[in-house]
Amino acid sequence: MPIRRGALAATVPLLVSALTLTACGSGGSGSGSGEGGGADGKPEGDITFQTWNLRSNFKDYFTGLVAEFEKAHPGVRVKWLDQPADNYADKLGADAAAGTLPDVVNVSPDLSYPLAKAGLLMNLDKEAAAAKFKGEYTPEAWQGNVLPGLDGSYSFPWYLNTGPLFYNKALFRQSGLDPEKPPKTYDELFAAARTIAERSGGKTATLGGTPAVEDFGRYGVKLMNDDATRFTYNEPKGVELLTAYKNLYERGGLDPQALTNTPDKTGQKFLEQKVAMNPGSAHDLENFKKSAPGLYRNLGITDAPNNTGKPNMYVMGLGINSRSKHKAAAVAFAHFVTDRKNQEAFAHKVAVFPSTKGSLDDPYWTKDDGTDEGRVRVASAKMLKGAVNYTPVVLSEEMKTVLKNEVAKALQGKKSPRQALDDAAAQSNKLLKQG
Amino acid sequence: MTGVKRVRTHRAASPWLFLLPGLGTVAAFNLYPFLTTLHKAFTDARTLTPGSWVGLRNFRELLEDEQFWVALRNSGLYVVLVVPFTVLLPLLLALLVQKRIPGVAFFRSAFYTPVVASVVVVALIWEWMLDDRGLVNAILRVLGAGSVSFLGDEWLLLFSAMALTVWKGLGYYMIIYLAALANVPRELHEAAAVDGAGPLRRFTAVTVPAVRSTMVLVGALSSVAAFKVFSEVYLLAGPTGGPAGQDTTLVMLLQRTGTGLNGRVGYSSAISLIVFAVALVLMLLVLRADRRDGQGPQDARGGRDPKGRQA
Repeated sequence: MPIRRGALAATVPLLVSALTLTACGSGGSGSGSGEGGGADGKPEGDITFQTWNLRSNFKDYFTGLVAEFEKAHPGVRVKWLDQPADNYADKLGADAAAGTLPDVVNVSPDLSYPLAKAGLLMNLDKEAAAAKFKGEYTPEAWQGNVLPGLDGSYSFPWYLNTGPLFYNKALFRQSGLDPEKPPKTYDELFAAARTIAERSGGKTATLGGTPAVEDFGRYGVKLMNDDATRFTYNEPKGVELLTAYKNLYERGGLDPQALTNTPDKTGQKFLEQKVAMNPGSAHDLENFKKSAPGLYRNLGITDAPNNTGKPNMYVMGLGINSRSKHKAAAVAFAHFVTDRKNQEAFAHKVAVFPSTKGSLDDPYWTKDDGTDEGRVRVASAKMLKGAVNYTPVVLSEEMKTVLKNEVAKALQGKKSPRQALDDAAAQSNKLLKQG
Repeated sequence: MTGVKRVRTHRAASPWLFLLPGLGTVAAFNLYPFLTTLHKAFTDARTLTPGSWVGLRNFRELLEDEQFWVALRNSGLYVVLVVPFTVLLPLLLALLVQKRIPGVAFFRSAFYTPVVASVVVVALIWEWMLDDRGLVNAILRVLGAGSVSFLGDEWLLLFSAMALTVWKGLGYYMIIYLAALANVPRELHEAAAVDGAGPLRRFTAVTVPAVRSTMVLVGALSSVAAFKVFSEVYLLAGPTGGPAGQDTTLVMLLQRTGTGLNGRVGYSSAISLIVFAVALVLMLLVLRADRRDGQGPQDARGGRDPKGRQA
């Protein structure tokens, strides 16, 4: 029957299209009914493990880690995935919406919050198989992954980072400032910035960007109320900080494009010696050495100024997909990656810091070996004790943009600092209320 | 079924069967997403939750959203200021490189290069040029004009993005015009020249009417593209949409509100429906203008002028 054969031929592509489409929504290990396998059983099955922009530099480390784990657990196979840094949250969102969230996924607390709220991450405190490892991590690190209103920790603590402030000694010298006495407090920072702007005739800015939420935190501004249901950064101290930045911007203390610069761009401007100071991490040293040897010769390293005595800390974790079909394997692998031995091994490869109990007492993080890297490492490790993650976990990307735009309006003089912060807080509170 | 009936059925069904793969693809990748967006626009859906029906709430919120009006203004300005240039400049460029003289192929390729270059690369180059310490400001300083904050001022930034869009699209539309110009009979130009028409007169009386339909096509394509602009502004202005978000366009707002783990998919869908509706109206307006013009003087391919004389 020719007609039927023709119909069949025409229908096949349709069916393929339909199946492809439906596969988008139901495939992957994270799919299914949400039941999944128990976390307290024997680790077995195929699981996926997603990192955040680590493949290019640490391929061998992670390949070795996976091989070692598979050798110790013959019933488990781990598929390692890596996603680029840019738009990582978008990728997670797409995966989560499609039901293809990896079994073990690299998240920071602000990323784990919406996932946990949607019931897509395992509450480790409520899962005995995971909670039994709690004592292996520093209490601060475990607590750093406890999410407001969700009653528990949703990620195994992984590496921590904190950043020193880099400054250009040559630019300090040219402005008549003592390059060996960098600013330690915000008042000193603003004074130095005014001097640099005045003495360079407005050619050299001190900072490349506008204040972000962690700047408000370090300045001592209370960012949210205690139960994280309302933003409070429009309190008088917040207005005080923004007013100081406004004065600085008007005097040329900030880069002319500070209102739109991203962290990448401010880093680039520091590299090009267009701005005198920039926050960074020990990881940047290698880049300075390679890309800007002139800058590297004049590089000063100091603590980021703060009025609270508590530096900012960036926290990374490994969450478990609550719909994983092989929860026991996922828990075992996440713990394996974040155990003391493997965290320390990873931190020896890159300038990050382990979150496991006792690790930072190791001489590697306490004794300066005389190199620049050693100096930054020891200083940063010391800063970590007492450091806090100033970024509220409920702060979404859209709320960050709201704050940045209102801060820009204040710096441009379109609104008073108070009005700008009131408006930013009101808009963010509205977004927060919407869920 | 008799043999005759079978053949008739076969003949009636065959075209549809051949169309099915195409229809299926359109249904799956165009129609289904459109209908989903239409539905989501009336819900409070988020990235991770399907949401529930909220009626016109998203649209009411949009009307109260200051950023929406800023974005609508910028997208509208983009159409008004970019489209005339994308209609006229490529035509002039096509006239220049249309001539068969030695070395003209080099210029054709050179003008087309920005089209094949990645918009990210192009935007980076423009950013370096327009930076406060970039090439353009260096030249301005040498000329004693002082530096201009192209990327720090909201209006200059928007105009810079428009210039980038025009520059990047020149080669593409130039190729379309080259094809149209190749179909203009040489005799018309020769006849006009014999009648004493100079180059300008020949351009307005012969060339423009001959490529009028192509100009309408370019106008329609570029107005929709201008209204949906994203990359150029995003790359020059950054993710916040320029200083204080004042350079945000509608598609940037759509992307900002609808993506990420906390994406307001329902709200973002409402914006995308508005973008769709305005783009549709723009397209219809341009095509309608074309049809109305078509009732008057015919184009140079054998039509009549308003007085009814044979062209």
